[in-house]
Amino acid sequence: MPESILEVRNLTKKYSDLVAVNQISFSVQQQEIFGILGPNGAGKTSTLEMLETLRTIDAGEASLDGIDVRRNPREVKRRIGVQLQSSAFFDKLSLGEILLLFGEFYGRRIDPIELLREVELQEKISSAVAELSGGQKQRFSIAVALVNDPVLLFLDEPTTGLDPQARRNLWTVIKRIRSEGKTVVLTTHYMDEAEELCDRVAIMDKGSIVALAPPSQLISTLLSGGFTKTRVERLANLEDVFLSLTGHSLRDE
Amino acid sequence: MRLKWKLTVASLKMFFRQREAIIWTLLLPVFMIALFALVKFDGIGRLHIGVVNEAGGESSVFLSALGNVETVEITEGTLEHEVAELNKGERHLVLVIPQSFQTGVGVQLTAFSNEASPREGQLASLLVQGVLDEPSLRQFPVGTRCVLSTRALQGKRHTYIDFLLPGIISMSIMQMGIFGVAFSFVSLKKRGILRRLWVTPIRPGDFVLAQITMRLVVVMLQISLLVGVGAFFLDVHFTGSLLDMFIVGVLGAFVFLGFGFAIAGVSRSEDQVAPLANIIAMPMILLGGVFFSRSNLPGIVHAITQILPLTYLADAMRAIAIGGATLGEIGSDLLALSLWCVLSCVAAIRFFRWE
Repeated sequence: MPESILEVRNLTKKYSDLVAVNQISFSVQQQEIFGILGPNGAGKTSTLEMLETLRTIDAGEASLDGIDVRRNPREVKRRIGVQLQSSAFFDKLSLGEILLLFGEFYGRRIDPIELLREVELQEKISSAVAELSGGQKQRFSIAVALVNDPVLLFLDEPTTGLDPQARRNLWTVIKRIRSEGKTVVLTTHYMDEAEELCDRVAIMDKGSIVALAPPSQLISTLLSGGFTKTRVERLANLEDVFLSLTGHSLRDE
Repeated sequence: MRLKWKLTVASLKMFFRQREAIIWTLLLPVFMIALFALVKFDGIGRLHIGVVNEAGGESSVFLSALGNVETVEITEGTLEHEVAELNKGERHLVLVIPQSFQTGVGVQLTAFSNEASPREGQLASLLVQGVLDEPSLRQFPVGTRCVLSTRALQGKRHTYIDFLLPGIISMSIMQMGIFGVAFSFVSLKKRGILRRLWVTPIRPGDFVLAQITMRLVVVMLQISLLVGVGAFFLDVHFTGSLLDMFIVGVLGAFVFLGFGFAIAGVSRSEDQVAPLANIIAMPMILLGGVFFSRSNLPGIVHAITQILPLTYLADAMRAIAIGGATLGEIGSDLLALSLWCVLSCVAAIRFFRWE
């Protein structure tokens, strides 16, 4: 039985009358890529923000690496890396300077080149964030999230708005980070992304988790219930056509 | 034709739905005109005579005659105060009316002028002598003529640039505090950079402290730069201590930083910062004694503008830089600035919001 790094029990968030997150429970194992899926307004971001200590937990508990998120948010902050949906950083500092500064926030002297190499941006060390493409910005914000060598990484819609090549490149980066011993919790709208990346997914709707299992298991459960697609899937789809015509290599460099 | 008209109407709609556009293009100019209308610019160029009246009611006929001269403005006060004003360049002549003064009796009157502005001094004393010799007052024998003797006091020559520079220093401190802080914090807030900071273990207080320290360093740079430019290129004669200017500048910066944080707290975007910051800053820039002396303002406006923080800052800065005053001598300005500081910090704490 692998060790669990994140334990969530009956987590609840209310905004006046609206219950955004309704008593959800799940646990994330070490070195797992855990996906939270769901339509807009399902409560994915609220869930993430409570675990990231950005929002107060209205009811329920969460513990990360054995630390109570509610009681000891600062200790939690020391152990997590976060990529928010908006990946803005100080504009007048170079990537290297931002990484060094964020390192200082954790009392660490880091090597910016090493972190930038992790996300394939080492040659951009002197550039400003504004000079980066969308995919590069997302990769840079992952590099910033890694400055404190976190045990767990939260990624909020990391590939939204990226072209297919940049998305695949980011998947490679995320898988490599996992292979280096880190745990990843991410939200996404893309089912293919969840299928490709996640060991397990929690599907949220209206503040509750409606299913939680590995993607393949969710699919076989559906099929064993007698589900058939109205249109039979062919062996390739339009994205495969697009990638075979335009190649897998990154375009944003 | 119809299309062009419809397009114009749509454009007008879009324009008027932008609140900041209305403020910048319509309200601000009206506001500025209103403010400038309060200033009696035609008052500039008059001869300002300080009168030390020791004769009481005996001199009323003479004083009203003097006051009736169109180019003369009279202020009554004590000898000490009026001579101090003369030294500051606020009076062109100080006239002492002795106790023995009586209409129809020839006495010797004394007046003081400022060596630094001999022309205005001479002109004013000629005028005073002229009024003393006026026929209505001269229905008496020739022997009763009042004679004015004018003594020139050694004073410093104050040019406009001497006046302006400490004001500009004060204004730039205010601009940096209010606009600098408000714009940068709202932008950090809006773009989610602050949220990104709060998922690191950094304490919000440390971040604010670093911001404030940075601004104070900038204040010292501003003062040094402007003093340097003034001394080397504009021939401004600084007499005070640079350290004292730093101290006053830092105190003033705290006042305006407080306002900046309060504005940043209530604003959700840069568009909301601009009008709010301008409504606070603009009257002070125009009426706080930065560009022209407040002595030309009408009574009530003069009284109101006296208590503006920029007025205290500019007065204190000017007293040190040009008047050579020590911190002790401008104690009342410093006290007033400290009170403003408390007030603005309370506003900052009350209104500042991270989200």
